[in-house]
Amino acid sequence: MDAQPEPVSYICGDCGMENTLKPGDVIQCRECGYRILYKKRTRRIVQYEAR
Amino acid sequence: MVVMKAMGIESDQEVVQMVGRDPRYGFMLLPSIQECANDDIFNQKQALEFLDKKLKPSLYSSNEGKAFGVLRDFFLANVPVRELNFRPKAIYAAVMMRRMMDAMLNKDAIDDKDYVGNKRLELSGQLISLLFEDLFKTMNEEVKKRIDLGLRKSAGRSLPIENFITGDSITQGLERAISTGNWDLRRFKMHKKGMTQVLARLSFIAAVGQMTRVKPQFEKSRKVSGPRALQPSQWGMLCPCDTPEGEACGLVKNLALMTHVTTDQEEGLSPLISLCHSLGVESLELLSAEEIHTSNSFLVIFNGIILGKHRQPQRFATSMRKLRRAGKIGEFVSVYVNEKQRCVYIASDGGRVCRPLVIADKGVSRVKEHHMQELRDGVRTFRDFVRDGLIEYLDVNEQNNTLIALYEGEPKEEITHIEIEPLTILGVCAGLIPYPHHNQSPRNTYQCAMGKQAMGNIAYNQLSRMDSLLYLLVYPQRPLLTTKTIELVGYDKLGAGQNATVAVMSYSGYDIEDAIVMNKSSLDRGFGRCIVLKKGVSTLQRYANNTQDRICKPLKKGETDRKGDIEKMRILDEDGIASPGETIRPFDMYVNKEVPVNTKDPVDLQNVGFKSAFQTYKGAKGETAVIDRVALSSDVNNNLCIKFQFRETRRPELGDKFSSRHGQKGVCGTIVQQEDFPFSERGICPDLIMNPHGFPSRMTIGKMIELLGGKAGVSCGRFHYGSAFGEPSGQADTVEAISKTLVDKGFSYNGKDFLYSGITGSPLQAYIFMGPIYYQKLKHMVLDKMHARGRGPRVMLTRQPTEGRSRDGGLRLGEMERDCLIAYGASMLMYERLMLSSDPFEIQVCRTCGLLGYYNHKLKITVCSSCKNSENVSKIKLPYACKLLFQELQSMNIVPRLKLTEAS
Repeated sequence: MDAQPEPVSYICGDCGMENTLKPGDVIQCRECGYRILYKKRTRRIVQYEAR
Repeated sequence: MVVMKAMGIESDQEVVQMVGRDPRYGFMLLPSIQECANDDIFNQKQALEFLDKKLKPSLYSSNEGKAFGVLRDFFLANVPVRELNFRPKAIYAAVMMRRMMDAMLNKDAIDDKDYVGNKRLELSGQLISLLFEDLFKTMNEEVKKRIDLGLRKSAGRSLPIENFITGDSITQGLERAISTGNWDLRRFKMHKKGMTQVLARLSFIAAVGQMTRVKPQFEKSRKVSGPRALQPSQWGMLCPCDTPEGEACGLVKNLALMTHVTTDQEEGLSPLISLCHSLGVESLELLSAEEIHTSNSFLVIFNGIILGKHRQPQRFATSMRKLRRAGKIGEFVSVYVNEKQRCVYIASDGGRVCRPLVIADKGVSRVKEHHMQELRDGVRTFRDFVRDGLIEYLDVNEQNNTLIALYEGEPKEEITHIEIEPLTILGVCAGLIPYPHHNQSPRNTYQCAMGKQAMGNIAYNQLSRMDSLLYLLVYPQRPLLTTKTIELVGYDKLGAGQNATVAVMSYSGYDIEDAIVMNKSSLDRGFGRCIVLKKGVSTLQRYANNTQDRICKPLKKGETDRKGDIEKMRILDEDGIASPGETIRPFDMYVNKEVPVNTKDPVDLQNVGFKSAFQTYKGAKGETAVIDRVALSSDVNNNLCIKFQFRETRRPELGDKFSSRHGQKGVCGTIVQQEDFPFSERGICPDLIMNPHGFPSRMTIGKMIELLGGKAGVSCGRFHYGSAFGEPSGQADTVEAISKTLVDKGFSYNGKDFLYSGITGSPLQAYIFMGPIYYQKLKHMVLDKMHARGRGPRVMLTRQPTEGRSRDGGLRLGEMERDCLIAYGASMLMYERLMLSSDPFEIQVCRTCGLLGYYNHKLKITVCSSCKNSENVSKIKLPYACKLLFQELQSMNIVPRLKLTEAS
């Protein structure tokens, strides 16, 4: 837990590249310049209720 | 007569000739002629002088004569005056008088103002062009003003005009008008609201249906039935079913399936006018007044302007139509011979509604089997049919000159056109109903309103979209009983409902008043299960002093937690934003935003004070949602904008609203285990049970046929059709054919089945009418509406409970309920409801002056502030709102005094 947590990465909506962002960065894919990034799915274990 | 003289027709005889030589017309004109003679008006000059006196002096300042200007520019402005030639205008006025007198002499000649042929629809292009014209002229004025100013300042120097056309007034004007929907054009005296609407994307049908909507201009408040009634002339042009209920009923209409609204002709009008002249129209200028209304000629009126007359109107009309079919003139030009008015109307203006029809020669259709084969092979398209003169567009007026057969093969010589398909008289929404021609008409209207609320699919890109609210069905199905319209609009690909096996029987008593009994196992299998997608947006704003919102890491366990925020931050990621896939409960944080404390004054950017402004999920208590997607983007102001999509999956519950396609809505009354449901010998168990009492009063025979057709369709593996009026043309399966298939597949011909009771296992006394019906789940769900409150928030001002579910408000005991309690004499109940449970308050009242006093806590005495003593002060209880009223009255110099009858 004490280890530096790895930075959160975001997926480009166009090319699918993974981007890391720092506060104050412009929201733009480094690869293709697309301006919408999506957050990756959680890595925690999740349990859903199926009813 | 004075006006006619003012326009240069000085001879009374000529005016009478222009109107028509029938002595009755002359007789009606006589008083006016007499008046002219009495007032010494014999020539144009005298007439103009006479009219000048009638005008307000300030209206026109030029010397040329005020009345002359009015006559030239305003009187019948649609008729152009070339080189001060008033003759066309005079003739136009004369023809108008003739029509008026016709209407006075003969009531049949009165025009119907609700007649669709007399109406024009305004399209977006016209409205935008009007808006642009206004803005452009305003800009021109501004530029001129600025140039004048510039010239005054710097005489002689060159002034490049570009420098004066600055600003973006046109862009801004367009944007403002379109975003607000308010068209405020002073130049055209137009002040309209709601001209633009946001397209409803709640369902596919709602979006398509909204795009066919026709809204009237005048206000809705008038209580007249004329414009609301169904007009015979709207056949095939406007849908007879699709209209809202209530206020706008019959005023707001929808286009039918094949309606085309004409646009203004691009190439202008002069080619058409010269064509008319070369086809033998005698120009108005060459005609004497006597010749206008000869018995053997018709007037030719082009877009409301009299062109001249023609001696052989039928031949003229036929040749015009032939030219149109040959594609020489526009396909939407209409030629209409009105025998009664002795006129030929040619219209090429925009906004007329028209529809395509198959042309027939002497009752024989021009479209032959080989044409259809070519269409099927994909060699021929609809445009080719129009181009080759097989199909033509007719507007409402021209339809009066035709004899349209509903189906092919009617042995009548006079038939000129054949309907393409009778189902096209309905619109998109009504087209979804199977067998609508078997239903009572209002039921179809109800369904048109309800089809727009059905959940299902929105569009193929529905999962990539980020709508603020989206209702989807988990397992949408294609209706078993389709119509041609369904295929044409693509409802079979983007359906909004499911085929439920329905048993029409009474069960359990939880099915009264249209309630539905549902099978629990069907719900487990996914019947009526829906997805609700909601959007949450968070923008990181930048402020005037260069400070900016920021997102913070979530607090970890063990860190100082002031308000129990750690529990709320459960699902936050390292970046302070929740990530997709996490389950989120109400009051869980999804973005841990912080806002600078000071956003106005310049501050040291290195250490800015921040306060927390996190956003939490707001949903129904006890329900959880899943974060579907999180998108990061920049908004218009280049601020970071984070959008969240929350997904909720809901299964039907008690009180959720369902509807078939026949205006038969109902709520889920109870959910019963499949074990207790009736079943047939084949093991078929219904998904839902509907009460048979829904049928007799509603008379929705279409629903019964849908059940039969659906049952036959399921058993033979073929989709059955139920298009409107489709039985004769084969677009709808007949009940006979359906019954035959049912019998072939071993069912009873009447769709009834032998069922066993699920509770006792014994056969039911009656055979049960059972089969599949397409059911829609409507967007009204209990979860979004459920509300109850014991104690809760109060309004600050009145200290009464708040109003509305969103504010956790109380349930109001209204005036009518109060009346009941008064009538019954339940005074204590009233006291409890209206005061104790609402806003009780204790006040001190002075018995001598009747005004309010106060309680002095230090001296522990009650004081009257106006009598300045503490004698005769009593304590009473009253609603806080009442005390507020007294004080507000006092502030307005009205003194309410309380007189206490029994006080101590």
